[in-house]
Amino acid sequence: MDDIRALKPNQLDALREVANIGAGHAATALSQMIGGTIMISVPRINVQALEDVSPMVASPEEPVAAVLLHMFGDLTGRTLLVFPRDSAIRLAEMMLRRPQGSSKELGELEQSAIKEAGNILSSAYMNALSDFMGMMLLPSPPSLAIDMSAAVLSSAYLQFTSDRDFVFCVESEFILQESEERLRGLFLLLPDPESLQAMLRAVRVS
Amino acid sequence: MRVADYAVGARGDMLSTLGLGSCVAIVLYDADAAVGGLAHILLPDAALARDAGNPAKFPSTVVPLMLREMQARGARQSRVRARIAGGASMFANLIPKGGVNVGERNVAATRAALADAGIPLDAEDTGADHGRSVFFSLDSGSVEVRSLKRGTRVL
Repeated sequence: MDDIRALKPNQLDALREVANIGAGHAATALSQMIGGTIMISVPRINVQALEDVSPMVASPEEPVAAVLLHMFGDLTGRTLLVFPRDSAIRLAEMMLRRPQGSSKELGELEQSAIKEAGNILSSAYMNALSDFMGMMLLPSPPSLAIDMSAAVLSSAYLQFTSDRDFVFCVESEFILQESEERLRGLFLLLPDPESLQAMLRAVRVS
Repeated sequence: MRVADYAVGARGDMLSTLGLGSCVAIVLYDADAAVGGLAHILLPDAALARDAGNPAKFPSTVVPLMLREMQARGARQSRVRARIAGGASMFANLIPKGGVNVGERNVAATRAALADAGIPLDAEDTGADHGRSVFFSLDSGSVEVRSLKRGTRVL
């Protein structure tokens, strides 16, 4: 694929469908892990110039916890899971079976729980894609960053992509609705440009 | 100020750019004239990008551009000095052995662009693995670098 901006509407639909299947499986894995119902949004496809990528949380300086993994095999790219800091803390509490409010910060144990959550979600997402497209996909070990959202995102995009002008990402939002709070996370699939064409071939959309 | 952008200002202005990761902020300042500029570069050089149309994306093109605009507002090149911040490596354990580290390359390319323009580099807060925001006061000439992990540092 020479230009990721040239994708046709039916190709975008197909990619959205693929992402929906992946996110569905990841949501199931997450809800089993923490015991609660997780809702997912309809996946959104973003094709943007690097300098135009808007912060996906409130402000460019808002602290987030982000887990990045490489995807290897028949497709290459990355998956990125982003939680606003408060959601990350709550997620860690749920994974560690601790009462709400027991964690005030993202210490070593909490960080390890979030990394594990990223691992499980990404693996579930990739497994679903593997099955659906008849491909082999393998995740790398996870890498965690807790920092300003703009710094984390621009680094994740810039450092690893082969296209340093445009970002192509498929974004799904996870929402856990508990009695009075909302745990929110974003899952991004960042396929390398060469892999987009392979995905479209696998789902037979030209 | 946005990513891959720059601005020039004078007395009374405050220039800032938020959430730098592997990007680098370049501060140029002529203290006598109280004229300065701030750029937020994205990539070390145009060879890494297909769309090289935006000069503010790269240090080698934005430094001369900022200098010209600063001179138009009364700065003198011989008095201009530089400070830089950014160029972090996040998710560094995922970079393959021998692979390009964009943060490090951005810092190296920025130093080279400043040397080419003959501008002395007075101070820097670069590298490591954390994000930074930069606040540049044209009145005092002070450059504050804020990070979530290390707090505030004045360059």
